[in-house]
Amino acid sequence: MAIAKKDTQSFRALYDAASPKLFGFVLRILVKRELAEEVLQESFVNIWNNAASYQPHLAAPMTWMTTIVRNKAFDMLRRVEDTVEIDNDTFDKEVMEALESPDPTPIESLQITDDAKALARCFKRLEGLHQQAIALAFYHDLSHSEVAEQLKLPIGTVKTWIRRGLERLRMCLTKMESA
Amino acid sequence: MNIQHNDALRDHLSAAYVLGTLKGGARRRFETLRRNSALIEQEVLTWQERLSPLAEFCPAVTPPTRVWHAIEKQLERSATQQDSYWSFWRNLRNDLSFWRGLGMVSTSAAVIMVAVLTFKQPGQPLAPTASYVATLTDDKSQAVMVITGDTLHHQLIAKILSKQPLAADKSMELWAVPKNGSPRSLGLVKADGTITLPLPDNVTPESIPLLAVTLEPKGGSPNPNGPTGPVVLKGAWVQI
Repeated sequence: MAIAKKDTQSFRALYDAASPKLFGFVLRILVKRELAEEVLQESFVNIWNNAASYQPHLAAPMTWMTTIVRNKAFDMLRRVEDTVEIDNDTFDKEVMEALESPDPTPIESLQITDDAKALARCFKRLEGLHQQAIALAFYHDLSHSEVAEQLKLPIGTVKTWIRRGLERLRMCLTKMESA
Repeated sequence: MNIQHNDALRDHLSAAYVLGTLKGGARRRFETLRRNSALIEQEVLTWQERLSPLAEFCPAVTPPTRVWHAIEKQLERSATQQDSYWSFWRNLRNDLSFWRGLGMVSTSAAVIMVAVLTFKQPGQPLAPTASYVATLTDDKSQAVMVITGDTLHHQLIAKILSKQPLAADKSMELWAVPKNGSPRSLGLVKADGTITLPLPDNVTPESIPLLAVTLEPKGGSPNPNGPTGPVVLKGAWVQI
């Protein structure tokens, strides 16, 4: 990756390409714009500083950056704890429609990476509430009992759903990879 | 329950770890396991790869331009700091007593420069923590690994600068090569190209002028008295 050579121009290009997705993600986690901006800033400084140790054979750039952003956002979430409200509109409207549509075309036309399209195809096969349980945990750093509270369901049910949902995602994605 | 040998459990815990539902003590225990097992690390990376695209399911929002400006400013600030480190070392280079202290090892300046840039934490000078350094080079004299020894915190840290191709059935092993006697193993290079271990008291440049990395069967040299494979990297261990 060119930013590994500390090339400012390509870093700017990377920022332009990735920041809207990452900012949207941080906003979903933190809701408050000023917190989200701070986390995005910290994350990109971290990305720059760690570019040399980024190992392309271990992770795709977007995965690597998403992991950095998510960790920083969760750190912030812990710092401000009680003030963030969870918004139940989990997904982007177009993604939601694509997931609900019986037709595969809407997923293909989404402006997302191929990895995200593959995940969407597999996610689509899960039941709505299972999708929601996984998304709640992923976006909001929730425990099983917190997810259960959000969905107003028994914790045992949520545990089973999440576990099975993840198993199905793994099988579906593995199958897709080998296809 | 041994999660190293239980594929289903390892998979389940890695997934719960990445998703975030693994919390508290269980999470911390898993993190310890992860640090010590390439297998678990691999599983975690795979789950990150699977789940991180969920981030893209949120509506994209272009951040305001002030975020980029703030990033630029912060990076400029740290670049200026880096410059002052450079001139600090440049001045030292011109200081004769400093050279004498290094025993005129011809690669020392490069060794230290690389170490400064590799290990420098923003806002923290390197000098008080690193006491010894080595830059290990390959057969083409390319710097591949930097190692620092910290006598204050009794820590030895190695970091690979450029990823080396490594067959799945091989490990890289780091050795202290003494003036006399057989090399002593310091440990295996981890999959991420780093080693962190307590600095043994007797691994000083006086007794150990050279550090080397050999290519060994997976898990390290089967011979307790020394390496069995070829030396792939080597470099002088010097005092700063």
